[in-house]
Amino acid sequence: MQIIYSDLLCIGAGLAGERVAVEAAKAGFNVTCLSIVPPRRSHSSAAQGGMQAALGNAIMGDGDCPDIHFADTVKGSDWGCDQEVARIFADTAPIVMREVAHWGVPWNRVEAGVHTYYKGGKPFDAEEKRDKHGLIHARAFGGTAKWRTCYTADGTGRSVLNTLDSMCLRYEVGIHDRTQAEALIHDGENCLGAIVRCLKTGELKAYLATATLIATGGYGRIYRATTNAVICDGGGQIAALDTGLVPMGNMEAIQFHPTGTVPTDILVTEGCRGDGGTLLDVNEYRFMPDYEPEKAELASRDVVSRRMQEHIRKGLGVKSPYGDHLWLDIRHLGEKHITTKLREVYDICTNFLGVNPIHDLIPVRPTQHYSMGGIRTNKDGAAYGLKGLFSAGESACWDMHGFNRLGGNSLAETVVAGRYVGKKIVEFLQGHTVDFKQSAINDAHTKVAARIMEMTKSSSKQESAIQLRDEMHSTMMDNVGIFRNGKDLQAAVDKLDELIDRSKSIKLQGTAIGFNPEISLALRIPGMLKLAQCTAYGALMRTESRGAHTREDFPERNDKEWLNRTLAYWKDGETRPELKYEETTPYFEIPPGERGYGGGKIIAADIPEEKLQVPGKGTDKKKAKQTKKAS
Amino acid sequence: MDASTLTLHVRKNGAGVGRLDVMQMLSGVLLIVFLWAHLMLVSSVLISPKLMDAIAWFFEATYMAQVGGPLIGLLIFTHFLLAARKMPWRASETNAFVKHSVMMHHKDTWLWLAQVATALLILVMASIHMWVVLTDLPITAVKSAARIQSGTWLPFYLVLLPLAEIHVGIGFYRIGVKYGYITKANRKWYQRLENYMMGGFITIGLITLIRFLFLTV
Amino acid sequence: MSRRLHIEVFRYNPLDPNSEPHMQSFYVNEYDSMTLFIALNLIRDEQDPTVQFDFCCRAGICGSCGMVINGRPGLACHTQTKDLPDHIVLHPLPVFKLIGDLSVDTGTWFRDAGARIEAWVHNDHDDFDASAEEVRMENDLANDIFELDRCIECGCCVSACGTARMREDFLGATSIARIARFYLDPRDERNEENYYQVIGNDQGVFGCMGLLGCEDVCPKHIPLQDQLGIMRRMLAIHSVKGILPKRVLDKLKHKGCCHESH
Ligand SMILES: Cc1cc2nc3c(=O)[nH]c(=O)nc-3n(C[C@H](O)[C@H](O)[C@H](O)COP(=O)(O)OP(=O)(O)OC[C@H]3O[C@@H](n4cnc5c(N)ncnc54)[C@H](O)[C@@H]3O)c2cc1C
Ligand code: HEM
Ligand code: SF4
Ligand code: SF4
Ligand code: FES
Repeated sequence: MQIIYSDLLCIGAGLAGERVAVEAAKAGFNVTCLSIVPPRRSHSSAAQGGMQAALGNAIMGDGDCPDIHFADTVKGSDWGCDQEVARIFADTAPIVMREVAHWGVPWNRVEAGVHTYYKGGKPFDAEEKRDKHGLIHARAFGGTAKWRTCYTADGTGRSVLNTLDSMCLRYEVGIHDRTQAEALIHDGENCLGAIVRCLKTGELKAYLATATLIATGGYGRIYRATTNAVICDGGGQIAALDTGLVPMGNMEAIQFHPTGTVPTDILVTEGCRGDGGTLLDVNEYRFMPDYEPEKAELASRDVVSRRMQEHIRKGLGVKSPYGDHLWLDIRHLGEKHITTKLREVYDICTNFLGVNPIHDLIPVRPTQHYSMGGIRTNKDGAAYGLKGLFSAGESACWDMHGFNRLGGNSLAETVVAGRYVGKKIVEFLQGHTVDFKQSAINDAHTKVAARIMEMTKSSSKQESAIQLRDEMHSTMMDNVGIFRNGKDLQAAVDKLDELIDRSKSIKLQGTAIGFNPEISLALRIPGMLKLAQCTAYGALMRTESRGAHTREDFPERNDKEWLNRTLAYWKDGETRPELKYEETTPYFEIPPGERGYGGGKIIAADIPEEKLQVPGKGTDKKKAKQTKKAS
Repeated sequence: MDASTLTLHVRKNGAGVGRLDVMQMLSGVLLIVFLWAHLMLVSSVLISPKLMDAIAWFFEATYMAQVGGPLIGLLIFTHFLLAARKMPWRASETNAFVKHSVMMHHKDTWLWLAQVATALLILVMASIHMWVVLTDLPITAVKSAARIQSGTWLPFYLVLLPLAEIHVGIGFYRIGVKYGYITKANRKWYQRLENYMMGGFITIGLITLIRFLFLTV
Repeated sequence: MSRRLHIEVFRYNPLDPNSEPHMQSFYVNEYDSMTLFIALNLIRDEQDPTVQFDFCCRAGICGSCGMVINGRPGLACHTQTKDLPDHIVLHPLPVFKLIGDLSVDTGTWFRDAGARIEAWVHNDHDDFDASAEEVRMENDLANDIFELDRCIECGCCVSACGTARMREDFLGATSIARIARFYLDPRDERNEENYYQVIGNDQGVFGCMGLLGCEDVCPKHIPLQDQLGIMRRMLAIHSVKGILPKRVLDKLKHKGCCHESH
């Protein structure tokens, strides 16, 4: 078996993985990035909308500052986030946007003068300030008090990823694409790297590293209808969960995006609504203002998705062979706006739906979009349970999103966490050495090799991975969707118990020498089922509604009992995770309160006085925070 | 000898390839101008054989034909040397390109193949033509007509004329594309122009040939 | 309207000594809004689990799924079957190393090209001041740069290029457009001579023969033709600097289309 050594192994080369890689490589460490696809094809490239950072250059973002961004983030999370982390995030985001600008991101810029913008479908004029001309501009995104989303037309993910990838090229980060991490190598205490399958040859290799980062993005593919790429199958989370030592945080917190298109589930960006797009029902009536008079289409995602689902349930959806949907209307934005600022949307509609958004309505419905949960880390990005294991980006539960992340906050998280965690990893590498135990390497390798052998051998086994995947999809779609209840969730948990059991007897249908695509799926399915079970079981146990987690049978947000974070551990051989709970946040800079949208009752908690103080800053919070935390 | 002359593995600072490219382009442009001028001169016979004779006399009296002729020959040779750098001399290259053209069914790709094919024929035929004309000065309408009516030369010109016009027409379009004068915005228009030009010049050339065929010697 | 599609797929597994390149036929029932992504996955799920092909975003934004579709390189995921005849022939992209069946190694090719043209903004990256406001830029210029940053590295242009097909080391239109992106970008401190050193050769701009296969297949409509022209002219003029008077050169440079006025 080939063994490859590096100081830092980044599993995943999306925005988060590459940002960390750049930080370590610039500090002189030897870094290797693994990725299923060439890095620039990582799913970050699909993010169209933008990144939130309180730069306050745009006239509609005038007076913005990290404090307001922080407050929006905490409210968005329905007080489910770690406020210390959210604070680090909000304070660092503006710096990171400027830094990537220095490296080459062509952010759209402020153009002084009067411009016509849209809010809630109505045009209005605003004058951009002369002294801000040429600085980074921002657009509106849901759930924010200010226009704060930095963007490059509608290819923000693409352009930032291009820039970071070019930095990886510059600093000679080793990129090993078409590789898939299958298992972590560890000795029960330290993470030592990963066993990796080469997707060109099917070979298994050992990648050893002093520090290992998991930045593999989301695991949306446990649902059938998801905006996520086909590679978003949770490989990183699975590898961590399989150690039995590293817990997943808040796996029940799954975000549904209001505007996945029908039938292909391809996302059209929130920017459509930010720029003034509206939602219409079967009668082409704009219904959102009835539910959310103030924010209408621009309330946070969980709220809009829920309202849409509610409206569809009232029978006001549009019937189609692919199920009921609603309409997104951007016609009034005009040809020029649609073909420049929203060009990617225009392309998607014409190429995949056969709809021309300049003249036609776009069929949309809420679709699985983002996983708030993931590998639980502390604020430095270090995973619980194993030394030398880190995680950042969507795969992590760093936990600035709590139970609902704001549009534009996750793309920003990838680079902000990437920079912050990257620096922490550099510190770790500077003061750490590790023994690569041969036995640990062999153990990990044998486990993966044995699984492949099992599936290939002709024996009494006959489960098809494709069949299991389809059944998992149906279960998750039907029972662990936007609206959840005890009965459905129980059914899902039971079904997943069964599927997990059956997944032990997967047998390959075909044979191929070298790389066999069927093995990829077959290796992944048992782990995906576990992630699905963590989601379903966590949701079943959490008897309240918070953010994106909506229980019909427990509609109130129960701060008294559930102001906490779920931690799911998976012991070898079990069909269910072991759930533990931890405090949401070390302290509350903003005590739990009303979000100001979404309605819903709150069962208040008694929060001890000392938890309401920001350590080191006393109660005089405002002033201390004004000084930006440069690093 | 400076340090960079021995090893191939250092950055080169020379302007070489760029200059060759410019020279190729210039040789092409000059040849285009020459060919069209040439066609105009010859087709002056359509107006009157006397006019053609007068023009020919002028070129010879000023020694432009005696000096210019070989210079054009040299220009063609230079152009050949420069353009040959791009030709698919290796069988594997030709093979790859032909396969590619068949796969793509894409007009501009086929056109290049047409240019390469016409080039080889022109190399041979233009040399013969120039040799024959320049070794038998002065040029007169009657002598040209006699050659054409003699039989063997008519098919020769019927082949050379379209070959040269096609080669030049494509060359004109591609110089425009390569140097960014033909852009995404005006490409369609130039494609049409290219077709009209090729068609137009071939027609004029054909009419001229017919005129020679029926010119009383 | 439901048609029965006859899909012929190129099959070859270079790792299997017994594998011979051949075409294999599959038959699939067409339905509404069907794309080649859906069709190929149906084939893999229901007929032959060993067929190799690449998809990632399935939304035309990642560039994974380039293949030759009835003779033309294109993205399989954004090709709707209704736009094709009922006989569909699929080949892997030529030029790139074949991994198996329809899957090719574009990643290595693009990384190598990127390294050759040094595709990053050349400035002092550490010169970043966290407390200072960003350097200003005109919005139009930002848009022009992004226009070229939109390339998804699908490799269609390279596969449609006769020159790339003949000469393995040709950098292709995508790389030249990429350099054009840095040339536009004031943050990149390279001068014309620096650019000349990386693409002023037969592997770069002067290798291009203006066949425009690239322009005609690019699924993202990157302005390849215009950028090839601009870069070739700029570097050609650079190479004859000192021979022609500067005034003439300047005039030539600003003729025709160009972003250079920004
Ligand atoms: C359609 C869409 C639009 C979005 N738009 C926005 C937006 O406008 N604003 C916003 O803030 N957020 C947006 N998001 C969310 C945001 O894009 C993602 O959360 C973010 O890009 C995740 O980045 P990442 O670096 O964590 O992971 P990714 O970019 O997904 O990268 C994951 C990497 O891990 C690799 N990988 C995965 N598994 C393995 C394995 N087993 N072994 C080795 N490598 C592996 C992959 O190859 C890839 O390189 C959007 C998401 C989607 C789906
Ligand atoms: C002597 C034999 C000739 C040969 C072998 C030859 C070969 C070629 C080739 C291979 C090209 C394509 C070059 C490329 O793709 O970069 C070309 C281009 C061209 N040729 Fe010729 N040619 C010949 C004669 C002529 C003549 C007689 C004329 C005009 C009277 C002519 C006009 C042109 C023009 C205008 C171009 C385009 C120039 C360019 O692309 O830079 N050629 N030639
Ligand atoms: S330029 Fe166009 S065809 Fe070429 S790689 Fe980029 S997107 Fe693909
Ligand atoms: S224009 Fe140049 S790069 Fe494009 S296909 Fe033709 S030769 Fe290749
Ligand atoms: S799968 Fe991403 S472009 Fe086709």
